[in-house]
Amino acid sequence: MDLTRRELLSAAAALLVEQWAAARAIAGRSPATTDRKVVVVTCGGMRREDTFADSGFGNIPHLCRDLLPQSVFYPFLRNNGVTSHFNTISSVLTGNWQRLDDWGKTPPTSPTLFEYLRKAMHLGQDQAWFISSNKALTSQIGASSVSSFGPAFGANVIFPKQLLISAVVHAAEQGRAVHSADRATVQPEIVAILNGDNYDGLGWSVGGDSSSLDKLTLGTIQQAIEDLIRTSVPATGDEFTYLVAVEVIKRFAPSLLAITFSDMEVAHFGSYSLHLSGITTVDRLVYELWNLLQTLPAYREKTTLFVLPEFGRDLDGSNTNGFFNHRQGSESTRITWMMCLGDAVRRAQIMEDPIEQTDICPTIAGLFELKKLDLAGKPLPGLWL
Amino acid sequence: MTMPMLSEQRSQRAEAAEITSYSVLIKRLPVTLRPALNGQLAEWETLFPFERRRTQEFMRGVASFDPPALDALLEPLRRLEAKMGVERWDFSQTADTMENASLLARSAFYAEWRGEVQRIYEAVEAAAHASVPPPALQPRLIVAILPESLPFERATLWKKWGDRGAELSIDGDAARIAELLLRGPSSVPGLLAQQGNGEISDLWLIDAGSRLSAISAGSSAASSLDYMALRALRDQVLAQVNTVPKSIEVTDQTLTAIRNKNWDPWWPAELSGQAPLCKFVIDLYLSGNGALIFSNAFVEWAASEAIRRARPRVLFARFGLRAKPKAFTGIAIFENQQRISALPDVDDPQGSAVDASVLARYTLLAAQRYPEGAQTAFLCIAESAQNAYLILPEASKTGWTSPNKATPEQIAALLIHHLSTQPNDSG
Repeated sequence: MDLTRRELLSAAAALLVEQWAAARAIAGRSPATTDRKVVVVTCGGMRREDTFADSGFGNIPHLCRDLLPQSVFYPFLRNNGVTSHFNTISSVLTGNWQRLDDWGKTPPTSPTLFEYLRKAMHLGQDQAWFISSNKALTSQIGASSVSSFGPAFGANVIFPKQLLISAVVHAAEQGRAVHSADRATVQPEIVAILNGDNYDGLGWSVGGDSSSLDKLTLGTIQQAIEDLIRTSVPATGDEFTYLVAVEVIKRFAPSLLAITFSDMEVAHFGSYSLHLSGITTVDRLVYELWNLLQTLPAYREKTTLFVLPEFGRDLDGSNTNGFFNHRQGSESTRITWMMCLGDAVRRAQIMEDPIEQTDICPTIAGLFELKKLDLAGKPLPGLWL
Repeated sequence: MTMPMLSEQRSQRAEAAEITSYSVLIKRLPVTLRPALNGQLAEWETLFPFERRRTQEFMRGVASFDPPALDALLEPLRRLEAKMGVERWDFSQTADTMENASLLARSAFYAEWRGEVQRIYEAVEAAAHASVPPPALQPRLIVAILPESLPFERATLWKKWGDRGAELSIDGDAARIAELLLRGPSSVPGLLAQQGNGEISDLWLIDAGSRLSAISAGSSAASSLDYMALRALRDQVLAQVNTVPKSIEVTDQTLTAIRNKNWDPWWPAELSGQAPLCKFVIDLYLSGNGALIFSNAFVEWAASEAIRRARPRVLFARFGLRAKPKAFTGIAIFENQQRISALPDVDDPQGSAVDASVLARYTLLAAQRYPEGAQTAFLCIAESAQNAYLILPEASKTGWTSPNKATPEQIAALLIHHLSTQPNDSG
């Protein structure tokens, strides 16, 4: 075991032991498969040294102090595929390494969890959602190109951050630059975009025309906009994505929800301080999400939450310009971590054995008792399946 | 026509013939090696002297192999390309493109491919050096400046900088060091001119503001890039870049159009007519890494690319302040904030200091990636902390007792002395 690995484990173990006594009792009765919920949160590229390491704990107070003691924690999760956003997320969702156009021109080549789940359990379109901050993705992420599955069994896909960006840019193009920090001044622009004709890049609903959102989805987003206008927290892209996810959770209680956060991807523009700020935002949002799930009868004691970075970031001094990017292929880029909370956790523990991102899909499939799937990975150790 | 002019004309003709012969030679190389080399040939007139020398050295190295030996060297890469299915790709052979990079990166054999390419380059360079040994490396200097406006605490300032260098207290006005180095009778430009390094890519002044060019009084012997002075051009390029849709093919087309566009009306006067430098700036803007967005990212990325492409004798990188992201429009950080928001900019000294200290260290790490790094003295000055971090090559430490404290004059004299060291002095 190298020094970094030992230090990480030691620090994580210390936190676990320190707070174990205060952790809630975890064992309990399992819900029926049909009641079970899974939420997967992926969050851009974050290096371990900026998160689960002595130098990073300060950036993730909730993850390491509040959630780690209740979790099964995997300190060595490997991204063994293409370390771009579309490929990584679609690999997680399909359980097979995807090697697609980086900008989401084509759908995954093997079925997504959304499709497996909806087809096998005859779930409606409102039971599978993909809500993402990441502007590098497209709606192709919601369903595969496999003919026996495909969009008929895919997820609702929404890009709330893209909606906000489009509203701001659209306003500027019309000669209406944002004149104040007053949230109310931005609201009409967002609503105008929502009521526009073309949703290309903003969202896609499996239920209807691919260029418009159905009424329910529209209402969900409008409520999130109201919440964003009311809230006092920073109006970041991830904040809005979170608020939209909250509305979806409250209105539809989907069985499978995938959320991707991306504020930390400001790293591509070279601001380390804003990158760390994005990590801290995710830490807070994940904590708020977990607490929210505990208050909702549809989710309490029935939900398993997976939290993972998509990848790390490149090494300082690499010819890919260090933390700016995530394409170096080094361990700093490929090795990250995952936290699992809730229903599938019977005992908080740290699972030191390396796992791969393609192991997540068969694990979630196992939680829903989906069988005989053609998946590359194997179910994760340490969880009740 | 004078004899020297005739001689130069003959030399240029010989070089042109040699370059033409490279095109033939490149066709003998595996497909994935061709775009970078063809791109270099196509842009020959705007390459820096170091890039030309390196390309010539590589091609002469390739030419030095007899055909069976070259085939043996290249065969593993050809086999790998067949496994990767390169012949089925829409792979540009004329220049590096995003599509090329994307196709390679998503191949299951990408790591293996990178290893093969590295092996070939090492073998070719070794062959080139066997016939013509490379010249001895001259001493170099990089000065990174964290200006007074950035707040730092001495106790934690150099925590991540490693133990190759030493902390140094500055006894006097820290801003004076750059002044001493950039103007006056025994300054860096004067010394480089004396040493026959008058080519402008030997001295770079890269600034988040415009202080360095002011100190050097717009020295014509330097490649001088001011983030502030480039604003009009940057705004234009940014507006074009932000039209790129979610499509790699269209992006490549758009980037090519931006690259080929006539930007003459937008260049600051001091860059007018400097084709290699103007090309460098456009390349920099189109290669991402925040050069269009944040001044400190511009400084770091420009410095890293200058070190990679020009291997300058001396480079100054002066960082600065950025504004805080604005309410709502900060969400579109890649947009021109002045265009989309009427709110005034508010400086973010703390955030800027965090960014600048990381990026100043990246400038050092960029230099250390190349053989020239071993001959490079590196000084990072934190003006607000009256403190500096200094790395000095062994050969230049003669007479320097590594004091904890030094005046700006002592530091400047030390660095000028370092640059004065002859290559053979260092053994």
